[in-house]
Amino acid sequence: MVDYRIDRHSGVATYVQIVQQTKQALRLGMLAPGDKLPTAREVVEATAVNPNTVLKAYRELEREGLVEARRGLGTFVRRSLGAAPADSPLRAELDGWASRAREAGLEREDVAALFTAVLETHYPAPSPGPAHPKTLQGDPS
Amino acid sequence: MSATPTIAPTVPAAALPDQAPRQLRWLVRLHRTPLLTGTALVLLTAAALLWLGGPLTDASAEAWQRYNACGFSPDCSYDQDAIVRYKDVYNYTTYAVLAVPFLVAAWAGGSLTGREMESGTARLAWTQGASPVRWLASRLALPAVLILAATGLLAWLHRLAWTAAEGRVDTTKAWNDFGTFHANGTVPMALALAGLAAGVLAGLLLRRAMAALTVAAVALGALWAAVHTTLPHLWPTVTETSGLRHGPSGQGIVVGQGVVNADGDRLDLPCHTSTLPGCKSTLSDLHAVSFYRDLHPAAHYWPLQLVASGVVLVVAALLAYAAFRLLRHRTGTARRNAG
Amino acid sequence: MTVPAIEADAVGKRFGRRAAWALRDCSFRLPAGRVCAVVGPNGAGKSTLLAITAGLLAPTEGTVAVLGTDPATARPRVGFVDQDKPLYPQLTVAETLRMGADLNPGRWDADTAQRVVAGGDLDPRKRIRALSGGQRTRVALALALGKRPELLLLDEPMADLDPLARHELMGTLMGQAAAHGTTIVMSSHVVAELEDSCDHLLLIGGGRVRLAGEIDDLLAAHTRVSAPAGTELAPHDVVESRTTGRQLSALVRPAGPLPGDWRTGAPSLEELVLSYLRNPGAPAPAPAPETTEAAA
Repeated sequence: MVDYRIDRHSGVATYVQIVQQTKQALRLGMLAPGDKLPTAREVVEATAVNPNTVLKAYRELEREGLVEARRGLGTFVRRSLGAAPADSPLRAELDGWASRAREAGLEREDVAALFTAVLETHYPAPSPGPAHPKTLQGDPS
Repeated sequence: MSATPTIAPTVPAAALPDQAPRQLRWLVRLHRTPLLTGTALVLLTAAALLWLGGPLTDASAEAWQRYNACGFSPDCSYDQDAIVRYKDVYNYTTYAVLAVPFLVAAWAGGSLTGREMESGTARLAWTQGASPVRWLASRLALPAVLILAATGLLAWLHRLAWTAAEGRVDTTKAWNDFGTFHANGTVPMALALAGLAAGVLAGLLLRRAMAALTVAAVALGALWAAVHTTLPHLWPTVTETSGLRHGPSGQGIVVGQGVVNADGDRLDLPCHTSTLPGCKSTLSDLHAVSFYRDLHPAAHYWPLQLVASGVVLVVAALLAYAAFRLLRHRTGTARRNAG
Repeated sequence: MTVPAIEADAVGKRFGRRAAWALRDCSFRLPAGRVCAVVGPNGAGKSTLLAITAGLLAPTEGTVAVLGTDPATARPRVGFVDQDKPLYPQLTVAETLRMGADLNPGRWDADTAQRVVAGGDLDPRKRIRALSGGQRTRVALALALGKRPELLLLDEPMADLDPLARHELMGTLMGQAAAHGTTIVMSSHVVAELEDSCDHLLLIGGGRVRLAGEIDDLLAAHTRVSAPAGTELAPHDVVESRTTGRQLSALVRPAGPLPGDWRTGAPSLEELVLSYLRNPGAPAPAPAPETTEAAA
């Protein structure tokens, strides 16, 4: 199950946050094909965001082929994302690496910076989210 | 109304439930304290009237009998306390019966509508299942029934108590004594209804409990005074004529009196009897033939009561109508779709 | 296409013949199923507009259609929570809810009402007069929601609530909208409070409608720009512009593509609202083209 957390001050549009968190859950294997996403009602009762925002996010996920809406039943996961579920060997390797980094005396920020740098090398130009980039921009100055 | 949309198929137009909202139950619940207090007061006054008409009247009548039998004998004993007690209780109960309409007016203005307008609970009620008009109707209808029953009972008991003493107690009030006249008939009922309507209207108009309470009571007093003042002129009088020696005569509610001259003209009353020398010459200067007096005898009691009640009821109806009109106008309920 | 929840046509209201207009020339259209924020400074006419829509006040001029009919006729299908949250002080919480059930026969949703009250840890035997402001709000909302309205009008609903209760009750409201398609209109003078929950905006200032429409559309239609001082902003509609030193910052409604050397950004809802409120003379955007104007 996904438990959406909406950060009002992140500058990221609410529906994009829902899309991203769903994808995150798919990547980590917290959501697997066949799983049911929470209903719009459940999401809005927990987050107090507008129902249309949730529907918009679900439509976006559906457009990307990640979920499908079944009439009267709900929205279900069609496929998972990435190949790194929570218990994969890759995760275990990363876990081991993080432990070694910590033993080597690296601070949290050091590790994050190191990881981001490597990430940038292998995955250049990450896109923050689909469509409407305008609403995603921060302060222009 | 051009704004009425032309497309309206998706909304279930008749989603209105058949059952009427159970308003009366909550009206009673909301006004439980005044209802209980009012009932207690009415029962207390009713008990006092029964006491007055029974034991107190008997005791007073007996005391008067003894007193009258005494003549001028110095060592005669009679129960003076019984006479005084009768008189006191009679006065108090008469005041109590006549105070009811004012209490009703104050309650209606203060509590029934005034406080609801002031605190906004009226708006709460209007946006629950009860429409403003229904809300007002229930606030007029149920209290009206209860008030009619209460004032009817009290006036009837008052009349019984008064009749019980007639001819037996020498200090019985005359039928046309102010308090007795009004408390003995239908006027308290009519006044109480007018008080209700005045209170309700004042509450809606002023939207302040204290102001509405005061205005309603004062307005009711003014209405009563106006009706009392004009009442003798609202029903044809009886004319009694009497010889010049006796002066104008006739018992009842006097409307006018004077002298009639040889031409049959009515003139103001210059003096009271031709047995006084000064008066005799005045009367002969005026060519007076007889005295006259226009009055309402005791037989006019019920016609006068009914006329007074009728006038008050008409005013009550107008006030209630005004309250409905005001509410409709304010909330826009009057605007039925013209097409 | 369904009937709009609210359609106001040149609505005006003044209290007394000589009084100033509390609301003037107010025209807008709210489609059904929206969650609409009515925003504006205190005394702007928000409460007046809500009361007219609820059928509690007759407009002095103009007409308003609610759920396809006049407000008085629509009243049984409309829920309303007044700014002061009036309730009968002598009743208990449980009695208040029972009154709601009795006064709304055939519509009453006891579960929802119960749930709203239960969330506040309220003793049902407690009298209303002993409740705190936030608890009263909860009971008032329970009454309004229990009626299962098609249109819910809330005047400053969150003012008395602590952040936790605010979040929870806003969630309940959104759940109601999600489950039943309830149209919700809520006023506030705090824009941030409503930003995530509302998808439609009605900005009222000085008794007039300053902005009305879908929030996404309104935000997309405006751009924040920074340019060197003295830059000519025409032909774009300028809502607000300010020059600080050599820099010109402005909020504009672009009439076409903006020059590439201007730095641009999307305004937040709050920025948009504040810009309009600070500049009463700013031109209101032309209303979004509607198709149902010419019905006759």
